[in-house]
Amino acid sequence: MTAAAEHTWVALILPAIGVLLSGSTLLLLGGASQRWARNAALALCAAASVAIGVLAIVVLSSNQPLEASAGRVLGFALIELRYDALSTPFLAALAFVGTAASIYGLGYATHDSTSRSRVFAAYPVFLGSLLLVFGAADAFAFLLAWEVMALSSAALVFGPAPSRSVARAGYLYVAMTHVASAALIVAFAILGAEAGSTSFADFGQAASALSDPLRDLVFVLLLVGFGTKAGAIPMHVWLPKAHPVAPSHVSALMSGVMIKAGIYGLVRLGIEMLGPGAEWWGLLVLGIGAVSAVLGVLYALMEHDLKRLLAFHSIENVGIILIGIGVAMLALTHGAVALAGLALAAALFHTFNHALFKSALFLAAGSVQAAVGQRDLDRLGGLARVMPVTTLAFALAAAAISGVPPLNGFASEWLTFQSLIGVVGSAQSSPVAQSAGALAVGALGLTAALAVACFVKATGIAFLGRPRTPAAAAAHENVLSMRIGMGLLVAACVVVGLATGSVAPLISQAAAPALGTPPVVGSAPAALTVMPALGGPTYAALPLGALLLGATGVSWLALRRRGPVRRSPTWTCGIAPEPAFEYSATSFAKLIRLYFSPILRPEREITVDRHPGTPFARSVHYRGEVQPLLGDRSYARMHGAVVAAAELVRRMQSGSLQLYLAYAVVALVILLLVAR
Amino acid sequence: MFTSQTLDAVLTGLLQTTLVAGLAPLLLGITRRTKARLQYRRGPSIWQPYRDLAKWWSKSTVESDAATALSSLAPALVFAALLVASGLIPLVAARPPLAGWGDLLVVIGLLALSRFVLALAALDAGSAFGGLGSSREVAIAALVEPGLILALVAAAVSAGSTDLGAIAARALSAGIGWYTPAVLLAGAAFAVVAVADTGHEPFDNPDTHLELTMVHEAMLLEASGPRLAVLMYAAQLKLIVVAGLFLSAFVPFGVATQIAPLPLMLATVTAVVKLVLIAVALGVVDAVLAKLRILAIPQLLSIATGLALAALATRVWLVA
Repeated sequence: MTAAAEHTWVALILPAIGVLLSGSTLLLLGGASQRWARNAALALCAAASVAIGVLAIVVLSSNQPLEASAGRVLGFALIELRYDALSTPFLAALAFVGTAASIYGLGYATHDSTSRSRVFAAYPVFLGSLLLVFGAADAFAFLLAWEVMALSSAALVFGPAPSRSVARAGYLYVAMTHVASAALIVAFAILGAEAGSTSFADFGQAASALSDPLRDLVFVLLLVGFGTKAGAIPMHVWLPKAHPVAPSHVSALMSGVMIKAGIYGLVRLGIEMLGPGAEWWGLLVLGIGAVSAVLGVLYALMEHDLKRLLAFHSIENVGIILIGIGVAMLALTHGAVALAGLALAAALFHTFNHALFKSALFLAAGSVQAAVGQRDLDRLGGLARVMPVTTLAFALAAAAISGVPPLNGFASEWLTFQSLIGVVGSAQSSPVAQSAGALAVGALGLTAALAVACFVKATGIAFLGRPRTPAAAAAHENVLSMRIGMGLLVAACVVVGLATGSVAPLISQAAAPALGTPPVVGSAPAALTVMPALGGPTYAALPLGALLLGATGVSWLALRRRGPVRRSPTWTCGIAPEPAFEYSATSFAKLIRLYFSPILRPEREITVDRHPGTPFARSVHYRGEVQPLLGDRSYARMHGAVVAAAELVRRMQSGSLQLYLAYAVVALVILLLVAR
Repeated sequence: MFTSQTLDAVLTGLLQTTLVAGLAPLLLGITRRTKARLQYRRGPSIWQPYRDLAKWWSKSTVESDAATALSSLAPALVFAALLVASGLIPLVAARPPLAGWGDLLVVIGLLALSRFVLALAALDAGSAFGGLGSSREVAIAALVEPGLILALVAAAVSAGSTDLGAIAARALSAGIGWYTPAVLLAGAAFAVVAVADTGHEPFDNPDTHLELTMVHEAMLLEASGPRLAVLMYAAQLKLIVVAGLFLSAFVPFGVATQIAPLPLMLATVTAVVKLVLIAVALGVVDAVLAKLRILAIPQLLSIATGLALAALATRVWLVA
């Protein structure tokens, strides 16, 4: 393994990570059922994740890419790495989530059969493949890492003994991920043929040499491939099925980091390599982003399975990220380079932030499931009193993902809004782009408000009020390692939110080389400024947060000094309060379900079984369901079309040897004619 | 370092905060009085909200036995968020007290924070009413938010900045020329969504305690004593914040551009007059409009959102 960097000790980082990860894989293969082996492996994974964080810091601070390569087979690079500034937000996300998830895994294993089986050897492999994906500098090496990432995570989704429903989710995931890979392989083949090499370094030039229709085709293929991995609508169907069934710390890695590989690829290849494209590229990405954001949060609101709800929110947040990327592409096309830098910084910042709070939420959801044995919101309730740490972690992460200041989610949504307003107000934008930007502003506003609604629902129904089941009442807080895992990520959400003024300029610095611009997000002391050269608006998270905290503290103390608080049962019109009186997850979202019924198309079915001959009901059954647009039904239709096409092709396969010989002759003749 | 500029900022900040904090209950009193007069009632004195606050503040607190620490923290947090938000708004001077700390999006974010905390606290006691108010509040807010943001963005795009002070300054220098079709349409859109956001007719009746129609009041049903006082006071502050957003983006005329005693006094009087006019207008709206069926709310709010989009469309397609 070789490495070219200024400091020789930097060259040690990559091998160190490799050794740690392979060591932990070996340990796990030795016996994940052995507690000491599993714990040692997870500790090594956490150490490797910390090393990944060091790697990100070194790359960003030295401002010099870190390169390494190993293992060439038939001229193809197996591992060909080049970590530059653009990789760093993704590496940082991987470092945080990897560390937290691995520590969390120490305690979580007692509740999770996958963690105790040999399948769990895929976990360090998964971490390692993510590390490779974010630095691969060669199409072959990238696809190799990409496939390992898909297969190792699929193994963790399946687990040691998949039930029928888990297996269905797993197969759907594998199928969709291969559709994505197929699209990428074709795109890389087109670029590689033009470049005469598989190295990403040559792809940039090759892309500019391509004819316009071919470049458009490459872009669409990249969008399909990376969009599927990112879970953007309409390529999202696998995500809400596969993420909830994985072990919770794997869900955290999948939602927090793995789907970001799609974002990474889109930025690396779609923006950095392809460069400015046709206007419809940016409009398409912006449209997909806006639709994903709104539909993602709407479907999340309809869920009452805590982890499925979170999975739909991943679609929403990928939508918000894609809005930023779409604006960046539009601005590049229009030649507004500064705006492109702002929009890309917004997208990358939100990518990083989403990794923090979504992983924290998945870990907290796993903590609930471990304690209650349930993740159906309507069977939880009142957990705040028995699980205070999990509750606090979930509530803070929920506030962060809802985009309220001074936490980190607000900071990146603020930047996304600024870039959208930039495209609407910029004289360089075309009227079509300006109108699309205006619509996206509305969509993003709607998304933010619906996200508040959804996380009030998730937090309130699960953790507040009275327990709805005996299991929820008997729950207790989880072990220290799980609390540390959650706490680490939530603390990061708070710190990054308050230190936005220092973090956002770093992210802007990471985004700039991909566009060839100077960083556009500047920092007054502790404040975040959009395009400081233009005297743009500022958001001073730290003083604002301090003032908010101070004012809250003073009023809270004043309230406390007003004397003792008498506690008595909630007034329920004279009868003893029961959990059945409380709003449930379904009833909480009822009004939104009705308001958005043209989109959600809710179906309900009420069956009343009456005593014979009387109007009195013996039992009443209610079934409510929401049919997602572009969901299972559209895919069933597509699936039917594919099967029909396959049937058609099968007619060529008669089994007769003469016919096959004739095919060979015809093919030969055609080849001779074409390749003359 | 203690420059004259920081001294000015501190002075205007104190002036505006005193004005906002002192005036908030009065505006509610004026709105109620206007409503009562239009209904041929005498109505309570315009000072009644102050007496109510004092009464609640001196009472003792009862909380549900299902409640968590959130019930005591929420009033403080909601109040703090709205107080900080009011500091970002140029109500008296064109330079707001917390100039440079945040723009209109931060104000909207702080409003979202107060809504998040309040709606969550409403679920704390495990009462059906809390869930009712909470779910209605977040659903209506989802319809309000796009129109609110789009209307303000239309003003921001016209001014070339999302900074409220910059928007106000730009409008002042443009004079009557500020009222382009885009700004007029956006102002109309904002007026509609602001009524919904502050919980007035035809969206919510601030005076009702009938469970079928409550939104905001249902969320406060479990609060008592000093906590109720703080939450009611916060609701009064929210009116000033939303009204302040409207004034600084659409009617900023009268704010002081230089920090000197006379301009500041004039600006203070103008600000009070503008806020009182808004309070009277809300009273009129409360009195003459019947409450909409909750399922009909989207129609009115989508018209407002459409107006805001039209504002941006005129800006994009008509202004070359």
